[in-house]
Amino acid sequence: MALPLPPGLTPSEVGFLCEMEHVTVIPRQTLDGLELLGGPTGALKPPLPTPLPLWLALLLKKQRRANITPPPWLSVEALTQILDFETDERTAELFSPLPDLPPATTTAPLEGDPYLAHDSLELSAPFLKDAATARAQADALPYHWLEIGHLLITHAADDFDDLDAVRKLLRDLREVRMSKLRKGFEVLDAGGGVKMNGVGGMEIAEVRGFVGGVVDGLRRLNRSREESRKERETEERENGLGSSSYRDDEDEDML
Amino acid sequence: MASYYSPTAILTDAQKAPATFSLAVPALSHSPLNNNSGTPITPATTLDLPLWLAEMLAVSRPSGPASAPLATLDMPSALGPKVMNALTADATSVELRQQAQWFYGLGERMLELFEDEEMGAVLLTTFKQRALEIADKAQNTRTAQQGGDSGDFMSGLDETERQLFRAAHDGTHAVKRWFEATSRG
Repeated sequence: MALPLPPGLTPSEVGFLCEMEHVTVIPRQTLDGLELLGGPTGALKPPLPTPLPLWLALLLKKQRRANITPPPWLSVEALTQILDFETDERTAELFSPLPDLPPATTTAPLEGDPYLAHDSLELSAPFLKDAATARAQADALPYHWLEIGHLLITHAADDFDDLDAVRKLLRDLREVRMSKLRKGFEVLDAGGGVKMNGVGGMEIAEVRGFVGGVVDGLRRLNRSREESRKERETEERENGLGSSSYRDDEDEDML
Repeated sequence: MASYYSPTAILTDAQKAPATFSLAVPALSHSPLNNNSGTPITPATTLDLPLWLAEMLAVSRPSGPASAPLATLDMPSALGPKVMNALTADATSVELRQQAQWFYGLGERMLELFEDEEMGAVLLTTFKQRALEIADKAQNTRTAQQGGDSGDFMSGLDETERQLFRAAHDGTHAVKRWFEATSRG
């Protein structure tokens, strides 16, 4: 019984991973570019805005060496627009759309191993470009919206125009989306799926344990039914091929 | 077959089901299976045997002239018609824990042995409805602790449902804890 945690990421792990996202920083002091494991960061020359990973941005902010620009989707207008979309009755089944993804690059090259070749990588958060920088899309919530929003509100409060409004909007958005997720529980089935396009990382982490348990329980209860159905299907397939051929083979084996 | 090492599977299989012997077993008259009474086990004696034993006896066919199984297995009372009707009427008000501590595990094993489509369908709908209730309760833990009548539902959950409740509650709790941890730092 080495690791008591269930499989999958816990909320604190998702919160840790979100700090890899890039945000736009306005430096107040010069700083040379750093050679990080993930790649080099640009040199900081005030007052030019530079993209930096969130953990580094938060550190510099605490040391008062930089200011963080909130991404376009973390403003009162953008969040209000998204909240209106979510609470609209016509979109009761959907979540607000994702930012546009880069074109898929998984065409395997003719030579070389498609798994290892560099030009067949499919990027996902937190490596998507510009999810939370100043060039992010203003009408879509990226994957780590809740975590990044919370971290920026807590630690970069003075970089916001209207902090209370943004905080309230984030809280409302979270409640609306969680209630939509919970309504989706009702259609859980042993073999079914729920349409979850646009759900964020923290939201998934919150319901992962419960939803996994429910689907597993349904699967186990359905197992005997599944097995009998599969037996019936294989029987039908064999009988459909012409029962004579099946029995002829058997007789020949017995000889 | 259930996994060998899983405590859940062991406890599930330890639950009892009624089995009717089809031959006399005098040597077991004084065993705990017979409640330590001295009444001899004759053909047509019905005893409550643990599932693992009852299944072996019911499925085995000894070689010989009379190749009937050693015992016939009946549906345990926890999955009987009365409980099934109660579940179809209102799934959330039935106290599953009273019926069997590992109710769904018991149902799963019985479905393996008997092919009862109707029981399978009832169990599926019951599970789904009670899972929705559990999700509701896991959110509002404050009112659940204060409310008196919701305590009945919580005490009537069987083991798998308790694990579900804990998973749902842990998820919400972990998110709250992360929010608080990052607010401090």
